[in-house]
Amino acid sequence: MSKMDFHAKLAGNIFKIDNDDTEKAPAMERGFNPYVTNEGTVAAVAGKDFCKVVGDTRCSLGYTILSRDLSKITKLTDKVVVATAGMRADAIALHKVLLTRIKTYKAKFHKYPDIDVIARMLGNTLYGRRFFPYYTFNLLCGINSEGEGAIYGYDAVGSYDRVNCGAMGSGSELIVPILDNQIKDHNVLEPEAPSDTEIVENVLRDSMHAAAERDIYTGDGLEMFTIDKDGIRFEKEPLRRD
Amino acid sequence: MWNDSNKYDRGVNTFSPEGRIFQIEYAFEAVKMAATAIGIKTEEGVILAVEKKLPSRLMDPTSVEKIMEIDYHVGCASSGIAGDAKTLADHARVETQQHKFSFNEPLKVEAVTQSIADLATHFGEGSEGMKEKPMSRPYGVSLLVAGVDEDGPQLYVTDPAGTYLKYKACAIGSAAEGAQAYIKESFKDDMTLKEAEKLSLQVLKNVMEEKIDQHNVEVASVEQTTGKFRIYTTAEVNDIIATLS
Repeated sequence: MSKMDFHAKLAGNIFKIDNDDTEKAPAMERGFNPYVTNEGTVAAVAGKDFCKVVGDTRCSLGYTILSRDLSKITKLTDKVVVATAGMRADAIALHKVLLTRIKTYKAKFHKYPDIDVIARMLGNTLYGRRFFPYYTFNLLCGINSEGEGAIYGYDAVGSYDRVNCGAMGSGSELIVPILDNQIKDHNVLEPEAPSDTEIVENVLRDSMHAAAERDIYTGDGLEMFTIDKDGIRFEKEPLRRD
Repeated sequence: MWNDSNKYDRGVNTFSPEGRIFQIEYAFEAVKMAATAIGIKTEEGVILAVEKKLPSRLMDPTSVEKIMEIDYHVGCASSGIAGDAKTLADHARVETQQHKFSFNEPLKVEAVTQSIADLATHFGEGSEGMKEKPMSRPYGVSLLVAGVDEDGPQLYVTDPAGTYLKYKACAIGSAAEGAQAYIKESFKDDMTLKEAEKLSLQVLKNVMEEKIDQHNVEVASVEQTTGKFRIYTTAEVNDIIATLS
């Protein structure tokens, strides 16, 4: 029953306008919903000359855990990774598209694309599906051509923005305020990108553990990528499994 | 060449038994008859200079456009059929803008040249109902493509066969050989842009039949410091001509 019908019926009942008692069978809605969400959380912080990205490895469907060890983060080049929350199938397809587009770029221009180039590439790839979007929420993380840490945040249809930190997915509401407080320096006259990797690492790790405490979709494993001038390093550690 | 070119010089997609495509060779001839264009690369940037052949003194020399901007950071000078040069330059302009849209960065100079060479090889008969029919004949033009990108200043030369080569300095057109010889004598690897400006016009002066002035030559540069392509005003050209011997 549509909203309009409902209101008409309500008015009829109250004011006794409608005397027709014959009840029509409600129209059956048919259709296929191609979207699911597998939830989970990713977060990232850009430092002066490095970038750290974390993500959990749980993949859920409702209250079911489909996998405890499915990565949300893909290495694109030696300087760039992409971290994606949302629907796993779309994320995997999207990461594949990005990898092939980067390969094509490399073949054509004899160099790997910088992060700002991949940022536009990803924006266009997402907008190309404006009317049947990839159900993904991305953080593109790495170091730019100047060697600075850089993060680009996206919505599902390709709006993007460079940020100094960010979180996506089911735990993002829990993590964003922590990053605002610890990293963003909203109330500082001259905000400076963090230069201590250990502080950043601890903030991100603690944020993820905190999210895993309250968010049932975040947990099982924690992946941490560190991108700096020496390349990309990868570490893994356990997270709450309940 | 002219003796054995009776049977195989009509089709653009037919090799002669000697392995030649005559229409391409004729296109080279069109370049050999055209006004001369010169490009010189230095560490500070690239200079392009062309001779404009003015058939009548009643003609407005500014309407002869032989040097064209492709993007902020690349330009080209042409020698050959002017209309063909425009088609190729237009194609390159679209390509650079498309790249900027897709990747948010300027297209590299080699890739600009590659896109021109790609179109140059796309001639042939096409087929009925094709949305955009390819050019029916080879393009009768050579281009000097000058630009600056992350690899510094660069100069490329394309020809009607779709070949492209990278040069320190090059001349194309009717006086290419003579001009090339002059350049070879005076070219130094550590030239300044000012010296290159002067050398390019000095060479043109030496090979031109007409007396050189600010109206019958065109000069442009791409500078390393600004990264921008710029066509010189007649006043600037006049100033350089005044310094020539």
